[in-house]
Amino acid sequence: MEFLLEINTEEMPASHIKAGLSQLKDKIEKELQANHISCLSMETEGTCRRLVVVGNFAPKQEDSEEVVVGPPKAVAFAADGSPTQAAVGFARSQKAEVSKLDIITTLRGEYVGFKKMTKGRLTSEVLAAALPTIITSLSFPKMMRWGEVNLRFSRPIKRILCLWGGKPLPCSIEGLKAGGQTSGHKLHSPRAFRVISVRDYRSGLKKNRVILSAEERKSMILRQFEKRLRPLQAQLYPDDELLEKLTYDVEYPYAFLGEFPHAYLRLPLEVLSVAMREGQKLFSVVREGRQVPYFLGVADALGDRKSLIRRGNERVLKARLEDARFFWEQDLKVTLVERAAGLKQVIFQEKLGHYGDKSARLKQLVAYISDRLDERKLKNEALQAAELCKVDLLTDMVREFPSLQGKMGGLYAREEGYPPTVSRAVYEHYQPVGLEDPLPSSSAGALLSIADKIDSIVGVVGIGIQVTGSSDPFGLRRQAHGICRIALDRKLHLSFDDLVGTAVSAYGGILEKSKQEIIELCRAFFGQRLRFIYEGHGYRYDLVGAALGAGLDSLYFSHLRLKALESLQKSPDFEPFILMAKRVNNILRGLPLYPLNPDLLIEKQEKELWSSFSIIKENTRPLIAAGDFVKTQPLIFRLQAPLGDFFDKVLVMAEDRKIRQNRLALLQAIGRLLLEIADFSQVVVEGEKKERTI
Amino acid sequence: MSLQKYWSDQGCYLAQPYDLEVGAGTMTPDTFFRVLDRRPWRVSYVQPSRRPNDGRFGENPHRVQKHYQYQVIIKPSPSDIQKVYIDSLSNLGIDLSVHDLRFDEDDWESPTIGAWGVGWQVVLDGLEITQFTYFQQAGGIELFPVPVEITYGLERLEMFLEGKENIFDLDWSGDVSYRDLRLREEKEFSEYNFNLADIGRLRESFSLAKAEASMLIDKGFLLPAYDMCLKCSHLFNLLDARGAISVTERVKTIGEIRSLVVRIAQKYCAGQGRG
Repeated sequence: MEFLLEINTEEMPASHIKAGLSQLKDKIEKELQANHISCLSMETEGTCRRLVVVGNFAPKQEDSEEVVVGPPKAVAFAADGSPTQAAVGFARSQKAEVSKLDIITTLRGEYVGFKKMTKGRLTSEVLAAALPTIITSLSFPKMMRWGEVNLRFSRPIKRILCLWGGKPLPCSIEGLKAGGQTSGHKLHSPRAFRVISVRDYRSGLKKNRVILSAEERKSMILRQFEKRLRPLQAQLYPDDELLEKLTYDVEYPYAFLGEFPHAYLRLPLEVLSVAMREGQKLFSVVREGRQVPYFLGVADALGDRKSLIRRGNERVLKARLEDARFFWEQDLKVTLVERAAGLKQVIFQEKLGHYGDKSARLKQLVAYISDRLDERKLKNEALQAAELCKVDLLTDMVREFPSLQGKMGGLYAREEGYPPTVSRAVYEHYQPVGLEDPLPSSSAGALLSIADKIDSIVGVVGIGIQVTGSSDPFGLRRQAHGICRIALDRKLHLSFDDLVGTAVSAYGGILEKSKQEIIELCRAFFGQRLRFIYEGHGYRYDLVGAALGAGLDSLYFSHLRLKALESLQKSPDFEPFILMAKRVNNILRGLPLYPLNPDLLIEKQEKELWSSFSIIKENTRPLIAAGDFVKTQPLIFRLQAPLGDFFDKVLVMAEDRKIRQNRLALLQAIGRLLLEIADFSQVVVEGEKKERTI
Repeated sequence: MSLQKYWSDQGCYLAQPYDLEVGAGTMTPDTFFRVLDRRPWRVSYVQPSRRPNDGRFGENPHRVQKHYQYQVIIKPSPSDIQKVYIDSLSNLGIDLSVHDLRFDEDDWESPTIGAWGVGWQVVLDGLEITQFTYFQQAGGIELFPVPVEITYGLERLEMFLEGKENIFDLDWSGDVSYRDLRLREEKEFSEYNFNLADIGRLRESFSLAKAEASMLIDKGFLLPAYDMCLKCSHLFNLLDARGAISVTERVKTIGEIRSLVVRIAQKYCAGQGRG
């Protein structure tokens, strides 16, 4: 049977709409499940003024049959077949007639009892009872109250439409009765109208200037954009976030094209598009990547016959661009170097000092990283970029449009005539901002980005701020994620501990935690980020665990380890070897470290194991140092045979304490070598599959 | 004037502007004290608002350090208040069927008076003309019944009505333009706010007003105490425009003013005022 719910509200933010819809669907689904009502379909739709659920559910709960068992037959009936007190009492307690009692044969013998039929409740009853609780329990990123209504919601609720099988379903929320009516577009067709089915609802809305489907609104916007751009042979400067927001902000999208004076084209595209996007929510228009003096906007309107909407937006945009031009020209009057002294006035974090200090630390860090990578030319560029990269925080433009930080510094550096490598590095040093954002394209930019992020992470972790599920005020997860992506993408082999250690030392003792504590915390933190990245790439979770379990000597090596495991898991040697490695691991668990004395090896098999191990260790050493785990692993697999013989023929737990400890020491040496490649004990193989524990 | 008529027809008492420098109509006692208790309240008034940091020496077509707000407060917020507001625009002669009127998410907050609310900036063809807010807290106190605040930016609205690009081109009355009336004031005050105000004397005035506020709160004279807080707030804004406030000091100073305001609000709600 058809179900339709519409919660009509004042304008909700786009993020609230999505949160609200997914919770609504979830909660209704759970309610149906708990009540054994089958749900044939359920979909959600939304605009800034309505949250809508459309479903098809079974008309009632399934009837249920229950067998209620009472006293044994022998007790319940007298010899003459008449019911005893026991039978009468049982029947009374179950509110059944004695004559309705049957004999039920169970494993333990014959009993009296009866079949109890429970009629399924009607779905309408279940929904009417549950909906008020479901609606009032929705949670939004920020909640509010209004009037004298004792309810918190995203924005004030105006009206609730609830239909079940085409008829209004009686329920009410805080005095607001649900009914069978909705209303059209707030300005262009505000009348209320009655609805009798989902189809009727959709067409009624369309007639009254509301496009219910977000997909449809989005494609209307894009189609209109294309139509307006075609004569100009120009393209939209894409901004998916803005498009998404506008799709939900309007109920009837109308796209318009506007112009602005040529003079403002002197401003960089970045500045123009931010000035358009922030505040006015307009899109830039480009031709071959260069801004042309047009913009696109989306109105909640049927059209713009008199061009009032376009002209109004043009006027406002001109004032904004005038402001931006003023900032651009003012900012260029002072060079970045002249401005740099002011960084001492800008606090980075209360306990971590100002941005002047941060710049100095960044110089130390980029020097360290470029030395490690043996990049002398890069070092000079990166040092210069490190000096300049934070200065734009002091410019009027960044104060007005904070999202331009970094980029403005790069653009101003370019205007001042710095080498392109330097200005590019400054421009890119915040990248990647979002998880999917592009990485810095230049080497110096990549290096500076790593330095900037590791400095922030180490600082914040070092003063004891913890990142938890819900709290990450400095965006450390995003920053660690960025470092990992850059390191993997550029195949940077940098010692993780030393990088963190250098960042700690650069703070010169103002951190509260010790270097060792910070390194431990960062290892765990980055381990989680890598796991997130690798699992996102579709690697098996146990292989990820094995690769990360080998320790985080360098971010990039963890990826090489993982790729080696991935490529070798199909080899016939893999599974037996894993089982063997697990055996070694189990024996050694919890033991102290013993010294190995080759002279105490007596049996043939243990001597052979020792010599194979020594050779393999020697051969793998350079491979491991080079990160060539694909070649290392087959060599390691060769331990399989001698280890097998060893376990077959030699008693590890020998009577003699010295011999026993020496044999354990041999296994410990092997275990250590294995752990340089991967923590094989974490690999799950056929025959011992276990549930993943989270 | 037609706004006044409109809101007075809606049952609002028409108040006069408050005679102290305030950053927004919200800060005047006609709003601040009246939203705190449970009694219904309907008021509207024009309030000149000063924001030293927004000064542009009269060179920006939109920004000025002093502008006029038309403030409406209704408690509890009526359920059709959006429609009443929209009708007020039609009443001014704006034909909304040919324009784009949007309610864009914009939550409002004033840390100095411990207040925040949820709502929108109302945007007409890209121009922000009104701030529309359901107050949730003031003076650190949770508000219930919930008041709605509608603040029209009068210059913006007038620019829209006259189709002007520059605030100074507005006709004030027939032969007097906004330029005649306000340009010199903007230039001189921008100069004062950004370059001339004596930082030492401002700081001194700030401490004096703060001390006065504290004394008055102790004695239970809450309205004069609140006036002193408003003075503090304006002096703080001036110091800020002069660039005399560092980031940490900023947080600290706002905190100082807020804690005075919170004490006033608490005493007011507990019925301890002398008035």
